[in-house]
This record gives sequence, structure tokens and C-alpha cells, in this order.
Amino acid sequence: MITLGRVMLVILFLVAVRLNRSELQPQIFGTYALLFVYAVAVIAVAAATWRNWWLDARIAVVMHAIDMAVFTAIVFSTNSSTSPFFLFFVLPLLSAAIRWGWRETALTAMSLVVLYMSAGLLVTGSGGFELERFVVRAGYLVILSLLLIWFGIHQRGTRLYVPFDVDLDLDHASNPLARALDFPVRATRAEGGALLLAHRDEDVVDGLTFAKGEQRAFTLDRPLVRADDCSTFLFDIRRNRALSRFPEGPFEFKSAAGLLDLDEAGGLGLTEGLVTQVQTGTHQGWLLLWGIRDLSTEYIEFGRELGRAAGTILDRGALLEAIGSGAAARTRLSLARDVHDSIVQFLAGAAFRVEAIKRAASDPKIGGELDELKRLLVEEQGEIRGFLLALRRDRELDLADAVAELRALAKRLSQQWAVDCSVTADSDDGAVPIRLQLDLQQMLREAVANAVRHGGAKRIDVGLAVANDQLQMRVADNGAGFPKANGISAATPWSLKERVERAHGSIRLDSEPGSTNILISLPLGGVAA
Amino acid sequence: MTRVLLVDDHPMIGQALQMLLRETDYELLGRAKTAAEATRQIQSLKPDLILLDVHLPDSSGLDVLRRMTRGRSRPKVILLTAGMDESQLLTADELEPEGMVLKTSDPGLLMESMDAVVAGDRWVDPEIAERTRQAKQRAALAPPLTRRERELIELVRQGLRNRDIAAELGVTEGTVKVYLHAIFDKFRVENRTELALRAAELVSR
Repeated sequence: MITLGRVMLVILFLVAVRLNRSELQPQIFGTYALLFVYAVAVIAVAAATWRNWWLDARIAVVMHAIDMAVFTAIVFSTNSSTSPFFLFFVLPLLSAAIRWGWRETALTAMSLVVLYMSAGLLVTGSGGFELERFVVRAGYLVILSLLLIWFGIHQRGTRLYVPFDVDLDLDHASNPLARALDFPVRATRAEGGALLLAHRDEDVVDGLTFAKGEQRAFTLDRPLVRADDCSTFLFDIRRNRALSRFPEGPFEFKSAAGLLDLDEAGGLGLTEGLVTQVQTGTHQGWLLLWGIRDLSTEYIEFGRELGRAAGTILDRGALLEAIGSGAAARTRLSLARDVHDSIVQFLAGAAFRVEAIKRAASDPKIGGELDELKRLLVEEQGEIRGFLLALRRDRELDLADAVAELRALAKRLSQQWAVDCSVTADSDDGAVPIRLQLDLQQMLREAVANAVRHGGAKRIDVGLAVANDQLQMRVADNGAGFPKANGISAATPWSLKERVERAHGSIRLDSEPGSTNILISLPLGGVAA
Repeated sequence: MTRVLLVDDHPMIGQALQMLLRETDYELLGRAKTAAEATRQIQSLKPDLILLDVHLPDSSGLDVLRRMTRGRSRPKVILLTAGMDESQLLTADELEPEGMVLKTSDPGLLMESMDAVVAGDRWVDPEIAERTRQAKQRAALAPPLTRRERELIELVRQGLRNRDIAAELGVTEGTVKVYLHAIFDKFRVENRTELALRAAELVSR
């Protein structure tokens, strides 16, 4: 941007000098020559630094010094009322304010004012010198300098702006990680991006990458970015270059290999782009963007803003999730309380009344019937207590406890259906989401009911195993088997199938006379919770 | 005749026990639906035996029992419950009621427990006895409290929010959260409400 401004300025100045016939004739050829050489030089620099942020940063100080020198020379050579010296003064001053901080702007302003004064003193007494104009111009320079120094001190915003309205509304069910990556990719129109996040003090990094319209999640067991002392930098892997800068400070020239794990970066398809730190309340990591058109040194500051925005999106996502979890927990506890206060008490009261009636009844046959009714009521209460216990739990259930609950259920079902039902488990290690445990219990009830009702099974073996983040429940019975749906394979009971699908699981049924096997796989990774 | 007072707010339980005690050696004097009513009726009716629900609308049946235990003499008490958490089990065990009956067990056990208690025995539902034993075992195995944990539990018991606790202890709110979660894990409590409920038990170690 500065380079292009310089080119336009020198061309404009050449035209202005050509049109202004009041310039002193002996100096006009020298001015033309100076401006011509300067114009050629700046056009060459513009061409050399076009999409080359490294060279642009490298020659920034040199070009700054040249701009100031040219300004001084212009003061010597053009002194009439139409002299556009002011534009040449503004260029280095604005360059300093944009590129660096207020200190560099102040230093530039002081240098320019001193140079202007010196030049003025040198030409004092010459034919074209006008003291009044010189004093007025000196006043302009000082005022403008002060304004730009103020600008340098107080400006905190980025130099680049997001070219669309940022939609940070996370009310809908979207993945905050994907949104935190999507936002900077769209803001920079990058071809690809990656977001790498790890829990604080942990090495394992979870990543999400976006390239060629596709998102992909991945995990790294070592850090891809090794930049401990800089939070944002540009990189060019092919030339092994990296460029960072302290806020309001000078550029720092580094090697890309010193800041990035080049093997991992190559795996992601990184060549040239931007890296910036992302911090949230619980995580820290890096945002990587590549394939940015017009990548320039301004993107270092812009990258910082993008990193902060990505962190904000993640924090807001976490906050909404926490609010959702809190609301769900309150609803669960409220439901548990309501069920406890109504259904459980009602069933307990009903059981007491049955006991009272039984004690009053003289017919032993009626007494037997009432005992059976009382037993069923007590069993039902037991089921509801298990359900309430699950509702009140806020965390996952140990697999050992889940198996114990299923065994107790199997015992009750054995009595209820006059069948031998047992539960075995390959392992007791692990945890089961509460929702999944409730599903498992209901699936077991349905599987046992189906086996007895439709197959007349006398024995049901239930096996539990955990593998690849999946909980597998195998229900085998010795019943007559399920009828064939299409003459080839048995139809899976629809209610069981529906329940499994709702839990994002899968079900397989192998049935033949004398042997039926149902294999249910349910994801443990929170989906079913 | 043994004079019985029922303290339970559920009408179904009230009606059922009225039926159950009919034509027995027990006289149902009345039914209190709240802890406040219970305190008044205990003083006015002077029952021999109280069937006391743990969950009452205005307070806990355990509080009623605690207030009675402070007096010189109290009637015999059978706690009636549809379920108690670990801290309630430990509190109940400490208060030593004469009986503890699960509403969800065989209803015939209530009459059995009343007969036993009136005869001077202690009767505790086997499931409650087992869960109390496990709770005591866990409490005994739990590591001792540090000074900081003790301070924090005391402040949670007072109902202070994390921000106020942080100001009180001179630490950040984040540090308070970390401490709290460590305490939750250490003593197997689910949330700050449960921690506040168990505070007396934990701090008195």
C-alpha cells in the first residue's frame, strides 16, 4: 500500500512541477532529474515488492530514509506557493504511523521538521525564498506531526477490515471449532486454514483443517507451531522465511523452520501464509491460514485480531454449551424430583394399601394374588429408583456400576418373564453416559420381552464389551427365532431398531430356529449422551 | 395400644397407613404434613412412636429428628424414606433413630419394623444398612481435609458464591473453581449443594 502510494505521489509531483511555471528555471532541470530517478526507483521497488512481504519489510527502513532525503531535496528545488512539498512530508510520516508505532512516527516527524528547517535556512536570502510562507509551512508540519503521533499512540485497531458482517450468533447447533475457523478463512479469503487447539499444559493437539471446501478433523501428538516468543507471524516455507513484529515495534526476521514443524506443515499443505495465536479460557493453540491473496505485512496486526476473534467464538461456544448443560441438568433434577414426589410416593402408597387389604382379607387365594400385585409394585418402584438415580447423576456412570445395574435388571426380568437371563461383561473399565445406560436398560427389556413373547426363549445371555469407543451389547437366546421378513432374513423388531438408531447406534440380527443373536453397537463418545 | 404419629405430606401414604394400622395394636393419632406441624403435634399429642418421612416440604425429617434428639427424652422414631443420598444416610446413622424403613421395600416390612421397635429393638432395612456401611467405609477412607479445603467448604456452607469466596480467601475465582472441583472429586460429591449438605460431616473429621 505504501509503495503504491509512493509511485502515485511521485507521478503526481512530476505533473505538478511540469505545470507550475513559477519554479526557478536554473533548478527545474535538477528537480526533473531527481524526480525521474526517484520515480524509476520507486516503480522498481513496487515491482520487486509486489506480493513479497519479506522484501517489503526488509527494505522498509531504507526506503523510509530515501523518502525523507527526497523530501529535503524537494524543499530545496521547489519553493513556490504551488510546491506540493506537503504531500512529500505526509508520505514518510504516514508510512511510519502505519508501519511502526508512535515512537517511529515522532522520530520521523522530528527528522523531517529539522531537515525542513535546515533546508530553509540554507536557501534564506535566495531569490525565491519567502520567510512568511516558510513559517506557515513549518507550522503545518508541526501540527500534522502532532496529529499523526497522536494517531500512532491511540490507534489500536487493525489496518485491515473484515469484508463482510461477522455473524457471531452461535444460537444454532453449530460446531464452534468450525465457526472459529470459518470466520478467519472468510475474512482473509484464504484458500485454506487450520485451527490447532490443546488443553493448557497438554501436548496433544486437536486440529480442524479447511481446504478445498472440505473440513477434516485430525490429532497431532507434537506441536506444529513452536513460536514461544511471538504470537503472530507470516511464513514462507519454500524460502524458509518468517516475519513477525512486536505490537508497535519493529519487524523481526526469522526462519520458518525455527517456528514451524515443516514435516507436519507440509502434511497440511502449507506453503505461505499467516499464523496467529488463539487463546480461550481453557485452551490455547494456533490459527493457520494459507493461500491469502495480497498477503502483506499489514496481515501481522490483522492476524492478531483474527486470533482474538477465533478465541472469542470458541469462548462463546463454550459458554453456550455450559448454559445448555446447566439447563439440562436443572431439567433432569426437576424431573427426578417430580417423579420422586409423585409416582414413587404413589406406588409406595399403593403397595401399603395392598398390604393393608391383604392383611384384612381372609381368603388365602386373594392373599396370594395381592402378594403378587405387591411384588410387582415394589419391582416397578425399583425400576423407577434406578431411573431417578440416573437422572440425578451429573457425570458418566462407571461401566462396573452400569453392568451391576443391568445384572439387577436381568434378575428382575428373569422373574417377570420366567426365563433364565444373565449378564456378563468383558471389562469393568470405562464409563457410560447416563443417557446410554437408560437406553441399554430399555433395550434389554425389549430384547427379553421379544425373545420370550415371540420366540418362547427359556435362556437369554447378555454380553457387554467395549471396543473402539463403542459399547456392544450381544443378546443371545434359545428361542424359536424371528420370522423372516422377506423370506431371506429376519426382520429386526422395529421398536428396538428405532431406539438404537435414536442413540446413533447400529443393530444386527441373526436368527434361526433355536438361536437368535442380536448385536447392538452404541457410540460412547457423547453422541448418545 | 401404641400411639403413632405419621409425619408425611403425601396423601396416598397417609391413607394407606391409616388402612394398614386399622385393627392393629397401633393407634394413629394424626398426621403432620410439614416439619413445623410435626414439632407442634409431637408436643401436643405426645406419641409413643413416630413414622417420620425424610423429605418434607419445609425441611428435612432429619432436622425434626435432630431437634427431638436434643431434648431429654423423645418418642421412638422410624424413618420412612423413598431414598436417601450418602450424606443423609450418614446423618441418619449419627442421629440413631430406632428404625429405618424404605418405602420402596416390601410394605410388610413396615409392620415388622414397628413391632420390633416397640419391643425395644432397632430395625433397619437391609438395603439402608448396607448403603450406610459403604458410605461410612468411604468416609473413613477419604483423605483428610487440608486447611484451605476446610476454609472453602465452610464458605460454601455459608452459601457464598465463587466470586465472594475468592475475595474472602484472597485468590482468583479460577483458583476457587479448581479447588472446588478437586474437593468434589476427593469426596465424591456432585455439586456445591451436595457439598454444602455434607459440609458438617466433612469439616468435623
